[in-house]
Amino acid sequence: MAKAKVAFFDFTCCEGCQIEMTNFGDAAFLELLNHVEIVEFREVMSEKTKEPIDIALVEGSFTREADRKRLEEIRNRAKIVIAYGACAATGGVNALKNHMTDYKEDVYGKDAGMPHLDSQKALPISAAIKVDYCVYGCPMDKYELLRILSHLLHDKEPVIPNYPVCVECKRNGTICRYQEGDHCIGQVARAGCGAPCPADGIPCEACRGFVDKPNEKALKKVLIEKAKFSEKRAESKSRIFSANLRSDAQ
Amino acid sequence: MMNAYFITEKDFKNFVSAMVQSLTVIGPVAKRKKFVFAKLESAEDLRLDYDVTLLPPKKEFFPPSQDMVRFEKDKYEGCISPQEKILLGVHFYDIKAIDMTDRLFREKNEDWNYLANREAATIIGSNIQTISERAFWGTVGKDVPPKGHDGFITKINGGYVYETRGDKGEALVKFGSFAKATDAQVKEARAVNENVMGKCPEKLNRSSKEIAEKVRKAFSKEAFWEALAEDCFSCGSCNIVCPTCYCFDVQDNWNLDQVSGARTRYWDACLTEDFAKVSLGGGATENFREERAERFRHRIMRKASYLNEKLGGPACVGCGRCSAACTSDIADPVNVINKIMEA
Amino acid sequence: MHCNCSYSDKNIFLPKETEILKVEQPTELEKHFTLKMKDGATMAFAPGQILEVSLFGYGEIPIGFASSPTRKDSFDIVVRSVGRVSKAINKLEKGQSVFVRGPLGSGFDLDKLRGHDVLIIAGGIGLCPTRSLIQYIMDRRSEFKKFTLFYGAKDPSQQLFLSDLANWRKSNDVDYYETVDKGDEKWTGNVGVITTLFKKTQISPDTRAVICGPPVMFKFVIAELDKVGIPRSNVYVDLERRMKCGVGKCGHCQINDKYVCVDGPVFSYADIEHLEEAL
Repeated sequence: MAKAKVAFFDFTCCEGCQIEMTNFGDAAFLELLNHVEIVEFREVMSEKTKEPIDIALVEGSFTREADRKRLEEIRNRAKIVIAYGACAATGGVNALKNHMTDYKEDVYGKDAGMPHLDSQKALPISAAIKVDYCVYGCPMDKYELLRILSHLLHDKEPVIPNYPVCVECKRNGTICRYQEGDHCIGQVARAGCGAPCPADGIPCEACRGFVDKPNEKALKKVLIEKAKFSEKRAESKSRIFSANLRSDAQ
Repeated sequence: MMNAYFITEKDFKNFVSAMVQSLTVIGPVAKRKKFVFAKLESAEDLRLDYDVTLLPPKKEFFPPSQDMVRFEKDKYEGCISPQEKILLGVHFYDIKAIDMTDRLFREKNEDWNYLANREAATIIGSNIQTISERAFWGTVGKDVPPKGHDGFITKINGGYVYETRGDKGEALVKFGSFAKATDAQVKEARAVNENVMGKCPEKLNRSSKEIAEKVRKAFSKEAFWEALAEDCFSCGSCNIVCPTCYCFDVQDNWNLDQVSGARTRYWDACLTEDFAKVSLGGGATENFREERAERFRHRIMRKASYLNEKLGGPACVGCGRCSAACTSDIADPVNVINKIMEA
Repeated sequence: MHCNCSYSDKNIFLPKETEILKVEQPTELEKHFTLKMKDGATMAFAPGQILEVSLFGYGEIPIGFASSPTRKDSFDIVVRSVGRVSKAINKLEKGQSVFVRGPLGSGFDLDKLRGHDVLIIAGGIGLCPTRSLIQYIMDRRSEFKKFTLFYGAKDPSQQLFLSDLANWRKSNDVDYYETVDKGDEKWTGNVGVITTLFKKTQISPDTRAVICGPPVMFKFVIAELDKVGIPRSNVYVDLERRMKCGVGKCGHCQINDKYVCVDGPVFSYADIEHLEEAL
């Protein structure tokens, strides 16, 4: 098996997923390097290339028309494009702004009018180029990325779950947040992370986006009836990471 | 060999301690305000006053993920490697469920990935001291007796009656200061176990046979199932926590070296969207249970009707775990079945 | 690799190795493999039974035998590239290994077909599992009475087993009728769904009928068989579901209370017509 050429790119994001990549810090990453050659990775190396690549891992959402050209260049160079991390895969937390118009002054104060702060709606990179696979999550789960890369190295379409986080919580024997008087939106969230948050007593925020057919109506109902949310809070709850996946996505 | 012994409360603790020191003992332990079956580190961990555990004890024989074949390049082998353990403090409804999964993994094609673990286990039941909020074990499958366990402990005044059911249960007697139980003690234990049966908060009002027939006939009431499943998330929680659910998915993965790996089975759930979906090629798929109402119905059918002939009663033991796990609170079989029976 | 357990021969999930003797590619998506057990054993099966075919790392898929058990030296499978496992298997070449568990499930009850007229109705890839039965009947032709075969494909490029088709067209042993949903410039045969073939010949009500094809096909074909007057107990259907474990445990292939992988995939229609999820 010849080493696959892998490159990392980032767009509108915090680069947290690249950091997460470097967090292996153990044999896993070094073992991975036996099978892939990393040709571009801003967080850890300064080299850049224009050569064809086997797998492009793109982080960050598509928020400016000006980024389209760079994304297209990546697409043209790469055999496989993976959107990794919530921002690239679904628009992620950046898409929280998509239903609002009055945030700029709040966030940037007197600098709000500066041209470099101009951006459009936050969209997944699939809004600009064809994406082959997604590694969901904020940050993405590095072990899931390893598994997806492993499958791709063997020319196998990666297995990405279409069942909710509840399945993983239950397999883990985690106490449901609702049984502790809390809320959670794991019922509509795409699994694959292993459900670490509820295991630590933190509600799932669906950072991996939704399953293919989320029951949004039931979610709102449960948040109101069981978690005692106000109607408004229940209505907007899943926006935090999944604004672009909601039926009311703009 | 069936014998009845008595042990005082104080000696019981020593009995558990002695077992914990030399054997792997799995029992109900507290997890915050809930309970789970876990390895006992000391006798103090054991909480026989538990109401119900989050997951049923099936996980000890049929773990949430289990390697079935390991491979390295072209070499491969099975990996059945049972470990002896004692399951202590299993409620009667879970004993019934274990007996059902025993039969289902044994029928037609014996699945030793399960059966080896099962045979390596000693199962000691215990009486129900606290009744869980959603329990209905008092009225479900009354014709199906708990069996397949090796002993049963009942708390009575001043101590415990330990009834053994064969060699494996008898082998534990040596760990404690047991006396032969008196007839009065055995009678008291029997009364304890009988009295609790009428105390469940939820009840089925008809026999399993009547339920099986009428539920099966309700299959085609599409609107009924659609209404019931309207708030279903297809999250599969009701399946995964069920002591008689045993469906699984199988996935292959490579290890980091990319040449070795395993074929692993994982607990699966027939409520999830893709459970019955197949690829037909050229991007086309066929989902044989595409609508959530169809999947919701399938679970109720399986619990109340489909398996009755094989098991001699319903594939539901009334533990109420599904009812508690369902955030929309629509999974409760009592609610669904009583609705059908009253219609 | 080291396993000190004594359960190896008891692990129903442990596959056996086979060697690929021959590979052909009849269509763009399908490959036709001829396999032989690596340990030299004969694969003893009934037409209609299935195999779980696998490659380590990729997984397992259920596939029906595409050859007759009367041909003992080897056996055939046809793999359609539809998912992870099939795509990986279809990259293999002669001499390489695939791994199999089986035979599994229940196939055609040949005693119920022997001595009668037989009609096989195969749509699309449904020809693969029925080819096992077709070969069997052709190999033991005298044991059966009139033998009719209907085969429908989407278009001429999707036709499988081209050399078989050429033989069947000429053969006196089988009344062979074929159709395509959509023809091309070279196609001179029948165009239309498979039920249009019923007009082409006379089928006796005493016929034993076998149906295998895409899920959508069954209801229409059964309506035609009803018209002919064939009792439903003499109609056999070969069903497809997500047969994941192949041994009646994993639950994915269930039709109501039946496990397709052990109770089927071949069923007498009379046994399943009351099952709402069957067709």
